[in-house]
Amino acid sequence: MFKDLDPILHSQLRLAVMSLLIGVKEAEFTFIREKTSATAGNLSVQVQKLKDAGYIDVTKQFKDNYPQTLCRITPKGVDAFEAYVKVLQEYIRK
Amino acid sequence: MEESQFTHTDSLRLIEQMIHTAKREQKDDGKAWILWGWLLFLASVFSWFNMRAGWLQPFFFWNVFGVLSLVLLAWGIVRRFFGGRAPVVKTYTRDLYEKLNTGFFISLMLIIVSMNVGVHPRYGFALLLGLYGFWILIYGAVLNFKPSLIGAYITWAAAFVSLFATNLEHTMLLHALAVLCGYIIPGHMANNEFNKEKR
Repeated sequence: MFKDLDPILHSQLRLAVMSLLIGVKEAEFTFIREKTSATAGNLSVQVQKLKDAGYIDVTKQFKDNYPQTLCRITPKGVDAFEAYVKVLQEYIRK
Repeated sequence: MEESQFTHTDSLRLIEQMIHTAKREQKDDGKAWILWGWLLFLASVFSWFNMRAGWLQPFFFWNVFGVLSLVLLAWGIVRRFFGGRAPVVKTYTRDLYEKLNTGFFISLMLIIVSMNVGVHPRYGFALLLGLYGFWILIYGAVLNFKPSLIGAYITWAAAFVSLFATNLEHTMLLHALAVLCGYIIPGHMANNEFNKEKR
């Protein structure tokens, strides 16, 4: 494990979620689950960790009588993601 | 996807893969351009034939187009509210398109109403083409899609020429040409690219 890498982001599933959200305005939980092939339970835990870190916002609402969970990256999340990528690039340069 | 330690190469590969997945969501399948393009093209070509032959009232086929548009609009609304739900992802591009679509529709209605209250169809159609060109340019610029950028300039050129058209038959032909270059050809090209990427 690399010491300088943000431990919140240095997890396959959390990094996958952040990489998906960095390119979109917001995404539904089911979309993220479909694209990452994660189980609902595991994804739920990792999404909560990202939310606790302040990297993403999670909105729960009802749409067409179905519960809908929307995730979107926060400015703090964007900064953390950029910093993470920068550290990765430094490792590659070495 | 298991929670486990992984190398920097794995991280980069994952980021690249997920960003690519999100990018695919931004791609447009061009179907709307194809559908509206063909409808507009057929309406102008049939109107041209009709005006030459004098079969029916000159704008009969545009009225048919108007009715068809309303049916399609109603179908779209029904599908939106009662159709199956696909997992939602809102991209910045899609968000921009939704807002621009509203603006396009309002401007379109203004021009259509103006033609019904006294603006000569020659100028009305030139204004319509000008509006199409604007929308085509934005689409091409946002998606960095060259055929649409070229199509936009051809549409504007057709709009300019149609201001000086001596009769409505010429206006219809210019309209058909503009729609062919601005809607139909780029629409089919976008659809081909979309299908290729999907495979």
